[in-house]
Amino acid sequence: MELVNIFITSAFIENLALAYFLGMCSYLAVSKTVKTAFGLGLAVIFVLGITMPINWIINTHLLSESGLFKTDLTFLRFILFIAVIASMVQLVEMVIEKFSPSLYNSLGIFLPLITVNCAILGGSLFMVSNEYNFPESVAFGLGGGFGWFLAIIAIAAIREKIKYSNVPPALRGLGMAFLLTGLMGLAFMSLMGIDPAIL
Amino acid sequence: MGLLDFIKRIEPDKKKSPFLHTLYDGFFTFAYTPNEVTKGGVHVKDGMDLKRTMIHVVIALQLCYIFGTYNIGHQHFSAMGIYTGFLEGFHLKLVHGLIKLLPLFVVANLVGLGIEFWFAAKKGHGIEEGFLVSGALIPLIMPPDLPLWILAVAVAFAVIIGKEAFGGTGMNIWNIALLARVFVFFAYPTTIAGDEVWVSGFDTIAPGEMPQYGWAHGLFDALFNWGGLDTFKAAASASIVDGFTGATPLSLAYQGGWERITEVYTPTQMWWGTIPGSIGESSKPLILIGAAILLITRIASWRIMLSMFIGAALMAMLMNAWGASPFMEVPWYYQFWMGSFFFAMAFMATDPVTAASTNTGKWIYGFLIGFIGMIVRVLNPAYPEGWMLSILFLNTFAPLMDHYTIQANISKRLKRA
Repeated sequence: MELVNIFITSAFIENLALAYFLGMCSYLAVSKTVKTAFGLGLAVIFVLGITMPINWIINTHLLSESGLFKTDLTFLRFILFIAVIASMVQLVEMVIEKFSPSLYNSLGIFLPLITVNCAILGGSLFMVSNEYNFPESVAFGLGGGFGWFLAIIAIAAIREKIKYSNVPPALRGLGMAFLLTGLMGLAFMSLMGIDPAIL
Repeated sequence: MGLLDFIKRIEPDKKKSPFLHTLYDGFFTFAYTPNEVTKGGVHVKDGMDLKRTMIHVVIALQLCYIFGTYNIGHQHFSAMGIYTGFLEGFHLKLVHGLIKLLPLFVVANLVGLGIEFWFAAKKGHGIEEGFLVSGALIPLIMPPDLPLWILAVAVAFAVIIGKEAFGGTGMNIWNIALLARVFVFFAYPTTIAGDEVWVSGFDTIAPGEMPQYGWAHGLFDALFNWGGLDTFKAAASASIVDGFTGATPLSLAYQGGWERITEVYTPTQMWWGTIPGSIGESSKPLILIGAAILLITRIASWRIMLSMFIGAALMAMLMNAWGASPFMEVPWYYQFWMGSFFFAMAFMATDPVTAASTNTGKWIYGFLIGFIGMIVRVLNPAYPEGWMLSILFLNTFAPLMDHYTIQANISKRLKRA
């Protein structure tokens, strides 16, 4: 039950994209069509779901004082987290290139850029500051990824729809995407404030 | 030389004064259908256009307006414990209601239509009648004592950011009226979220508080004096009775569930709507008449209404089975007695622009609104009512539902071919 709470909280109530506005660069750049957004969203779910537990193991068993080296190595946290994320992204990239070259081409530079997608590193750092245990960090990773995935396919569908709208020329493209993100954040506030403990 | 000829003669020149021409065109098409007719082999036989669609919604809202006006006054005097019978002090209640509602209506429409006219002139095309419905809906979902400048800011936000930025009528993603309300809700929470605002005419809702009457009340007092009727001046010596809180049924439900509600309101009262609340949403039967008008004229989708009802009922039943808090134990059918469920179902969720447009999408859209709205109402202590936020939430996902419904149809047909 506790794990379900964490999943729901991280997916809807504390959505990484729409409550913390993390991972905005790829969120705004790759959300022009639902198809590519779907692919990137899945990649983010995968990377978050994998890196979160690995980072948890590194953080608790290597870096903390009770860990392998018996010294406080937490100053290495950022660089090690980034290294894990980068290698995982490399893995995802190879998989996508093998199985779906068209998606690989449409994602372009933004696939390797997941490495510096702040949603991923931010998720790992939230995990540390929330002091999750191992299964909780898996639930948090998958939930956060799912929330980000929902946000990006929703904005992609909206952007596909307003392609046919008479948007003022000054707002076309990124300007509209910023506006949409803000209004989506407003809409997502409906679930904010729910205490998951009640579930 | 008829009226039509005269009106046509005063038509301003489109090139010289575009703003005047847009204004003229907008009001001209209120009264007359444009002269241009299609010729040749067109297949559209119905003369139904956007303006007539909108007028049907406005007509369906009229009963809510009449009742809402009267209920403002009724709540005002009930708080002081005078004229407690529904029809006692009829003229005072009606006049007090009008004094509160009319400024809200005028400000909402002046600001909204003003912005719309300005954008239409800027773009150089005719006025899109999109604000007719929003302008009629917005005053009904506000508390009666809302400061007018807040209303003006909220309407400006909703029309500019929510609609004109997207390209005007029919292009918006989120419901305009709800955007205006959600803006007030998050930007000025004390004016809309508290228990005190739902009863108008007092500075604060506390026992012993005297009513505040302005110059408009005085003007009518002179008239009532002359006609030998009761006056506001006589009522002004009364004050709020002991034990009155002005709390709505939903805030009572948080405190102690159904038992706490029935201490203050009877189910009949809640059904007919003689309770405090936003102006137009309290009377269920009158809203249902409006919903019937929308269904008969096929303006609103019965799929959305039905699936929203099913979703909300299902969630309420689940909560009954669960029963972790007094609010969850409120019998599921009584959940519909309180709050603004029917108003949201009839007039907000069915907005054809922001709802899903495919039939499958409509079922999912309505069901999820009901389901999530009930979760927000009962489980989220931060918000008193859930429908506004759940409709905005699902507006966000409506294009996605349409997208996947259409994709599924395409792949199904490809397989068949």
